[in-house]
Amino acid sequence: MRIGVFICHCGSNIEGTVDTATVAKASLDFPEVVYATDTMYACSEPGQDGIIQAIKDKNLTGVVVASCTPRMHEPTFRRAVERAGLNRYMFEMANIREHVSWIGKDREANTNKSVDLVRIAIEKLRRDAPLSPSKFSINKRVMVIGGGVAGIQAALDCADGGLQVVLVERESSIGGKMAKLDKTFPTVDCSSCILGPKMVDVAQHENITLHAYSEVDAIGGYVGNFQVQVKKKATYVDWTLCTGCGACMEKCPSKKNPDRFNEKIGPCTSINIPFPQAIPKKAVIDPTTCRQFVKGKCGVCAKVCPTGAIKYDMADEIVTEDVGAIVAATGYDLFDISKVTEYGGGRYPDVITGLQYERLLSASGPTGGHIKRPSDGKEPKNVVFIQCVGSRDKSLDRPYCSGFCCMYTAKQAILTKDHIPDSQSYVFYMDIRSPGKMYDEFTRRAMEEYGARYIRGRVAMVYPKDGKMIVRGADTLAGTQVEVEADLVVLAAGAEAAVGAPKLAEKLRISYDKYGFFMESHPKLKPVETNTAGVYLAGSCQGPKDIPQSVGQGSAAAAKVLALFSKDMLESDPQISRVDIKRCVGCGKCIITCPFKAIKEVEFRGQKKAEVIETVCQGCGLCTSTCPQGAIQLSHFTDNQILAEVNALCQS
Amino acid sequence: MSRLEELKTRIKEALPGLECVIGWQKGYDPLHNTPLFMRTDADVDKLEWGPLNVHNPAVYLPTFTGKKVGVVVKGCDSRSVVELLQENLINRDNVVIFGMPCTGVIDLSKVKARLAGAGVSAGTVTAVTDDGKTVSVTAGGQTTAMPLAEVRADKCGRCQFPNAVLADAYVGDPIAPAAPAAAADADLAALDAMSVPERMAFWRYHMERCIRCYACRNACPMCVCRDHCIAQSREPHWLTQDDTATEKLMFQVVHALHLAGRCTECGECQRACPMDIPVLALKKHLNRTIRDLFDYQAGVDPQAIPPLLQFKLEEDNIKERSW
Amino acid sequence: MPVLTGKELRIVGFLCNWCSYGGADTAGVGRFGQPTDLRIIRVPCSGRIDPLFIAKTLINGADGVLVSGCHPRDCHYAEGNFYARRRLEVLKRFLPILGIDPGRFDYTWVSASEGQRWQKVVTVFTEQIHALGPAPRFDAVSADMLAKAAAGALGQGGNRVAA
Repeated sequence: MRIGVFICHCGSNIEGTVDTATVAKASLDFPEVVYATDTMYACSEPGQDGIIQAIKDKNLTGVVVASCTPRMHEPTFRRAVERAGLNRYMFEMANIREHVSWIGKDREANTNKSVDLVRIAIEKLRRDAPLSPSKFSINKRVMVIGGGVAGIQAALDCADGGLQVVLVERESSIGGKMAKLDKTFPTVDCSSCILGPKMVDVAQHENITLHAYSEVDAIGGYVGNFQVQVKKKATYVDWTLCTGCGACMEKCPSKKNPDRFNEKIGPCTSINIPFPQAIPKKAVIDPTTCRQFVKGKCGVCAKVCPTGAIKYDMADEIVTEDVGAIVAATGYDLFDISKVTEYGGGRYPDVITGLQYERLLSASGPTGGHIKRPSDGKEPKNVVFIQCVGSRDKSLDRPYCSGFCCMYTAKQAILTKDHIPDSQSYVFYMDIRSPGKMYDEFTRRAMEEYGARYIRGRVAMVYPKDGKMIVRGADTLAGTQVEVEADLVVLAAGAEAAVGAPKLAEKLRISYDKYGFFMESHPKLKPVETNTAGVYLAGSCQGPKDIPQSVGQGSAAAAKVLALFSKDMLESDPQISRVDIKRCVGCGKCIITCPFKAIKEVEFRGQKKAEVIETVCQGCGLCTSTCPQGAIQLSHFTDNQILAEVNALCQS
Repeated sequence: MSRLEELKTRIKEALPGLECVIGWQKGYDPLHNTPLFMRTDADVDKLEWGPLNVHNPAVYLPTFTGKKVGVVVKGCDSRSVVELLQENLINRDNVVIFGMPCTGVIDLSKVKARLAGAGVSAGTVTAVTDDGKTVSVTAGGQTTAMPLAEVRADKCGRCQFPNAVLADAYVGDPIAPAAPAAAADADLAALDAMSVPERMAFWRYHMERCIRCYACRNACPMCVCRDHCIAQSREPHWLTQDDTATEKLMFQVVHALHLAGRCTECGECQRACPMDIPVLALKKHLNRTIRDLFDYQAGVDPQAIPPLLQFKLEEDNIKERSW
Repeated sequence: MPVLTGKELRIVGFLCNWCSYGGADTAGVGRFGQPTDLRIIRVPCSGRIDPLFIAKTLINGADGVLVSGCHPRDCHYAEGNFYARRRLEVLKRFLPILGIDPGRFDYTWVSASEGQRWQKVVTVFTEQIHALGPAPRFDAVSADMLAKAAAGALGQGGNRVAA
């Protein structure tokens, strides 16, 4: 092999603490290295051209680039060596930026360590073999998990692009959090007026299959060919017959159940359609409160239903959907305000969340759009908004900013004035974060046109006194203590990962952070991709987002799916396991342990042997470390390659 | 009819349907029995039973892939059979297991030491008899009586499986297991008593004596890689052919770790070692770890999955260190 | 080029590509300073790490080996780290019987977002190895100790270290 080694300065990022010329010079002493040089920016166009030129001039058959992490530019350089006529797998990287120059300032030690890392890359490269991908067909259907605005956008864009879309929604209607909002900032558009038509489009789109009141149970397969088991939860109403007429809701005798759609500030019936614009507009029975289930007798809904849709004996049903890609758009849930005991959320009825306040503002909410405080139904005059409840608070293990609360609080202050002209709003805030288009202007309007009083400081406690809620806090700008007699206190509860998000992530085999938000593939350059091919993210499941960001991500995820499906065949990663049939004794230990069922038993001249199913193998290498005789080797990470790296490090 | 005669009868009955039945016969001198492959009734008549049947016949089973064979087992041997079944290396339909209660086998090293103590050479043995309790060895014209309990293999002293754990034909009544004897684990206790650097010296000393003959591996019924052992392959190339203690120790580590959760402590590796290197101690140590971590013993349940080929989402006995 | 004599010890890391290698990248991007001893070998999954690699590294004279994978339940390949956890724990308990201090090997879980955790793990582990000092080499056992071994006189000191 004729190896060329390129040591990147990365401007001063590497050169600042690594003597790249010395590393290049030292590389020449290693076996089969015929050319070594340092280069300013290996990834730039001149940098890549330099590599390509050297391959041609020096007849190189393998290349090592020492620069940044292979997680960043390995694909870049592989394409470059391929352009020069080499197999793209005859290439290795040494990470001397993230793992060397950026974590220590000792130039001598860094230079020395860089030489070691180049050396193990060379030893690995010497044992690389050219690999070529094989092709497999893809199923051009996509599943979108979550029917909030991000999921709706992703589903509609994919469907408009001609793909068959399966939309899975946990609740009985799509719409998500946005369907609960009254108005949206900074335009003060009516939320359901802009979301409603999109929901109808979903219902009417010929390419979209909607599984509402359903959850993803299990996921098998891989990019291009996933098998997803969807659990359709029992609704006890045959939706093929239900017309959504609502007769059952009128007659249902169990009327005092907390209405989840109304954030539990209003009652609902046991058989229920959550809101008038629901898609699908179908009734669901809650068996935990329905008298037929709880007491064993009632049957009123069954009697009044004009189509005979009520089925008390319905059971959960599993349907399997085969899809080629999955978009996760499972949104967020709210921080539990009762955890901040000093504010009294959960204890005092007049301390509510911002989302509950949305329901009080909404014309389709429990108060018909009249702001009435929960305790006595009176119209509040003084409304106090407290921001950052469960955001930017290390003591609650919620150090992150939820992003959209500053804006919706400003909106709610404006709407409060619209609804009750003689009211006064107070906003306790830490900082106002309004970096969107027209956002800061909007918060200014809340203060200047609508007279909301913004007080910079934290609230220490909230307690009831003579029918009022006393809010005591600090005004850090004035340096004084403040006490406000409030009729209603609205807490800007922070956004949290949706309940069950980590479980879904495990099914999808994607990563999630310590708060349960899904991890994107790269925080800047791959914001909607994940580390699992064929799985994309949209909306707040990746981190708190407002509506335009969520919609943007929904469309971005759809674009990724459409690009993926623009090909008829996908190339499989050839870094997979291969069986040396002579060495295999057919014990099947690899078959037992393979997480992907990618190895099968075959007969070869009357003997049992293992065989890797190329398109199913994901290249984890568990089989290689399981096989005692080393008969199954993961290409590009063979025993010999890792042993060569170990030996190189140990003998020096 | 003696139990052995009854066993022979049972084997003869089954023989027409079998490629062969593996057992033991008298060897080149009265002290050594050797493996026997019975294909005819005349072969069956050569079958021996007793404390000289030191070999584990299970080691031969995987070589008969696709053919139906019988095997005569001691309790410990049967665990190897179970392990082979568990690992899909032999087919239950293709093996007929014959068992008898076992009261222990001799450790030839101990017998030789006794003879040396009596001033006679093991090479001059002319007769060996045993009554189940005492082994009497005649050599150089004199007979030395040795209580079996004193010259039996260490594994017999703590044997919990004197009866086959799995058998198609079992002759005789099952007997109770021996009480665990502390002395039987003297090898492990000796290592335990050493400091970590002393253990390094211990292995260095023994590995320098190792002649790298691989008898330990070849005698191991669980070493199923056979011709494809990674000790001698280039693809993958785990070990060099350098004659260094480091390479030899690495081979022992390969053998031990490949046996983790699979070793039934039949002791064949150590028995086969011509240099008397205590290689079984490594496996015993691993077995103790496997028992502590996973409450598991190899070669008992044919349906069990070896502990390193499975996992629990929450491990009961593995605690992650904090940083 | 050897490790910097007197300054560094030979520490080898085996990191899974998806979580811990990414976590080490994140630490780099965040400029979280770390000791320079560690050399990282990238593997796809902690399940790819045959315990024999670690044994070989230590027997051949490395002063420490650190393995890091995805947190349990967060494996990119769903299950690899669960198998790794069992195998690595068995290895950790096996090393002392060979005469290798169990403190020379540790395994842990670091996600791609945990740059600070990675910094801490590397720092603590490196300090731990420096506290142990250069590893006694198998091929450099003293003649005195070998003589004791030959005489069967080891283990008389009563200085037993937990196995």
